[in-house]
Amino acid sequence: MASIEEVVPASIIGTSLARVDGPLKVSGGAMYSSDHNFPGMLYAVPVCSTIAKGTITSLDSSAAEAMPGVQAVYHRKNIGQLFRAAPPVGFSGLIDERRPPFEDDVIRYYGQYVAVVVAQTFEQAMAASAAVKVSYAGEKPDVSTTLSSDEKPKVDTTRGDADGAFASAAVKVDETYVTPVETHNPIELHASVAVWDGKGFTLYETSQAVGNHREVMAQMLGVPLENVRVISRFLGSGFGGKLWPWPHCLLAAAASRNLNRPVKLVVSRKMMFQNVGHRPLTQQRIRLGATADGMLTSLQHDSLNHTSILDDYGEGCGEATGYLYSTANLRVTSGLVRRNVGNPTAMRGPGAVPGLYALESAMDELAIKLKMDPVELRLKNEPKLDESLGIPFSSRHLKECLTVGAEKFGWSQRKAGVGAMQRDGLTLGWGVGVCSWIAARIGCEATVELKADGTARVACGTQDIGTGTYTILAQIVAEKAGIPIEKVEVVLGDTKLPAGPISGGSWVTSSVIPAVADATQKAMQTVLMAAVQGKDARFAGKKPEDLVFSGGRVQVKGGSAETSVAYAEVLRAANLGGVSGTGKSEGTFGVPPKVSQHSFGAQFVEVTWQPATARLRVNRVVTVIDAGRVLNTRAGRNQIEGAVMMGVGMAMLEHTTYDQRNGAPINSNLADYVVATHADTPQIDVTFLDYPDLSLNEYGARGIGEIGLAGIAAAITGAVYHATGVRVRELPVRIEDLLGGTARA
Amino acid sequence: MADEKQKAGSAEDSGGAAGKVTRRSFLSHLGAAGVAATASPLLAAAPAAAAMPEASEAASDAKIVGSVPVSLRVNGKVLKLQVDPRATLLDTLRESAGLTGTKKGCDHGQCGACTVHVNGRRVNSCLSFAVMHEGDEITTIEGIGQPGNLHPMQAAFVEHDGYQCGYCTSGQIMSAVALLKEPCGPTDADVKELMSGNICRCGAYPNIVAAVQQVRLRS
Ligand code: FES
Ligand code: FES
Repeated sequence: MASIEEVVPASIIGTSLARVDGPLKVSGGAMYSSDHNFPGMLYAVPVCSTIAKGTITSLDSSAAEAMPGVQAVYHRKNIGQLFRAAPPVGFSGLIDERRPPFEDDVIRYYGQYVAVVVAQTFEQAMAASAAVKVSYAGEKPDVSTTLSSDEKPKVDTTRGDADGAFASAAVKVDETYVTPVETHNPIELHASVAVWDGKGFTLYETSQAVGNHREVMAQMLGVPLENVRVISRFLGSGFGGKLWPWPHCLLAAAASRNLNRPVKLVVSRKMMFQNVGHRPLTQQRIRLGATADGMLTSLQHDSLNHTSILDDYGEGCGEATGYLYSTANLRVTSGLVRRNVGNPTAMRGPGAVPGLYALESAMDELAIKLKMDPVELRLKNEPKLDESLGIPFSSRHLKECLTVGAEKFGWSQRKAGVGAMQRDGLTLGWGVGVCSWIAARIGCEATVELKADGTARVACGTQDIGTGTYTILAQIVAEKAGIPIEKVEVVLGDTKLPAGPISGGSWVTSSVIPAVADATQKAMQTVLMAAVQGKDARFAGKKPEDLVFSGGRVQVKGGSAETSVAYAEVLRAANLGGVSGTGKSEGTFGVPPKVSQHSFGAQFVEVTWQPATARLRVNRVVTVIDAGRVLNTRAGRNQIEGAVMMGVGMAMLEHTTYDQRNGAPINSNLADYVVATHADTPQIDVTFLDYPDLSLNEYGARGIGEIGLAGIAAAITGAVYHATGVRVRELPVRIEDLLGGTARA
Repeated sequence: MADEKQKAGSAEDSGGAAGKVTRRSFLSHLGAAGVAATASPLLAAAPAAAAMPEASEAASDAKIVGSVPVSLRVNGKVLKLQVDPRATLLDTLRESAGLTGTKKGCDHGQCGACTVHVNGRRVNSCLSFAVMHEGDEITTIEGIGQPGNLHPMQAAFVEHDGYQCGYCTSGQIMSAVALLKEPCGPTDADVKELMSGNICRCGAYPNIVAAVQQVRLRS
């Protein structure tokens, strides 16, 4: 009989754990979509339009078709039928660019796919793609970055009399903030490896949502749902850009079907700027009215964002505006403006991230007008409840985020006034910004098997996009069944598995907990039944309710631990290979909320400014996050640090620039679209308040993938103002913006 | 003739693993504590190479028009391949040699995901043609260490959570292992500077630097 020492500590929830998939990731063994190779596989390379607006007048593929290794060149006339996806229902049927590729000859954005070359090797396909001759009747595209609404903006939320209160406010801020087009640029290029078997497809996709991907592909390819399987075992991240299918997925699948061969299509880095979404340009007017002692009396947030010619993508910049502060009078509106650009899509923290840059910048400007400490201003306007919905918060500790952050940062040493702080010949700038992000759950199913070899297996059709989902699932099973985490095998990223949540919205963790816990409990219950049934059963003659499953072992309730039996032994005695349980949990969407579920945080930033050389650096960041309970603090801290790094990029470096003449994103590579590197890394201090939010799940976890990117840009531009006297209202901060600043003297 | 060459290559390599010089200098650099830990990847290189698929059927089966033969010494093993002369070392490793641990992030030398060692030095494998590497000693992430037998740098990345999605990770580790032999100052800032050719869009930079510094400190 196995010894009792095998029993693991009561809880591994909330501890610092190495990831269970770590060894695969560090040794090249983790299989990403484009790592799949098959016998006879062909390579597809799309041909992109070289205009942003107009029509195709002719397409000559004869030269390309005659080139070595070329198997086919597909375009509108020969790709075969592709359909549009039906309107979405909930979280299924979602796709941003609803028009299937090659549907017509109209070009609506630069780089739109007009043909695809399929050849024996990647090199052959690349060469032939350049030989497809396409002529266009081009028109001048509209990629203007000045937005004015085509339609009447929609009112997202309103209360009181925002206009009247603003007009009579003692202190006012009325400014417009602009965030540029940002491109997700995960390091993994989007890719599809499509394998047609004569009847259906196995699709290896770079997907943050395999279930939705499958439904959309089945509809657009015109095959029954059961004939499509989508696999995404490891994802080289996506940041929202890989949530829904993009046109290249259809090209790969159609080519595979037409040629009856596996086809690999890897989107190039240049195409990543054209064909797979971006965070849209936003232009946001914020009007704040306050009393002389800093109470907000009016808040108006009117935002516009660009979208593509055919599809509506609303960024939702006012996402957090309605509930963040207390004010009796508020109005949030939003509108779309059409441009000749590829379709925008959700990028990490959609809405809240650009929205809080604007709102928190305006709050900083208000604090300066009031001659009030910006932390104090926020503390002063803390609401007692979610005033947009009139319901209490499930768990809101924003004040503590601010006070703890101020303490850790040393905020009390702050000297207000531009350029007032110096150190080692550098001018210091300090800034603060608040962040918030929605917490929610989406429906989830999971299966847990407890096996006779003492291991467990948990399967769920969600994805690990780098956030640590493999480890979280292993933790839940290990905790519930009381077995070591190394004994838990986790299988994700496959539509053959029970349907799991999309990897978006920072909702995976909160969504999987109830389903996986439920599945584990059911499997444990079945072990107890096996323990009493049959004459060889270890607890023959007892009833399941007489027994208890704990620490991976079964024993009689109230009996001594020495008489306990490992569950593996129970199963072996019953000649069972394993028993499984399926768990299910419901989502929170579509149900009127009783509490307002959001995460909060405070970002404190120090920049250093060297006026003589115009050198600006983000030097130090202190972030305090209130995101419920954090299940794995090691991966959790990493999420926030990574978001801060992306925030440094957002504030200081990133912007996609479209050539006004031809509509091309002109900095479409990683040398010209600059993201933060090792050398840009500031000192980052992350604190989790760790108050469990039990309104979402039994562990009180809310999810932390996105919140860390909100608020950071405003904290940086606030710090830049403090150092230089220049308020940057259009991101990113450019050195040339600062050269005219007062600090230059 | 070609077969003999391959045999000769294999025999020679079985004793030395990829980059004999690389590893010897690396071991001496690590000192006693590191040796015990480093011995394993040396051994691991062989099984890893054995576990690799032979040149993937997909690309080498059918005749590729205009292809040329090339033999590459990868992770201590000679690989004889027929490749398109335009094929980069990166695409050859991934698409012809079945070594998909090396990643493509840009194909332009801008991200570092494709970093491998050529004769012990780190290079962006997307920036050179496979046919230029006849006879060169190439080491990929698969040859650095495998689960159960990780290189200290790989183990440090796991311990410090030096990744999120893992896509830049092979390149980060190849750069970090090469960095151990490069003239690099002692501070975090020095490491950041020398690692800046490897972009991590997930932003796991603080943890990557912590992992690299731990290995350097223990050496
Ligand atoms: S793929 Fe070689 S540097 Fe990016
Ligand atoms: S871990 Fe995702 S890019 Fe580095």
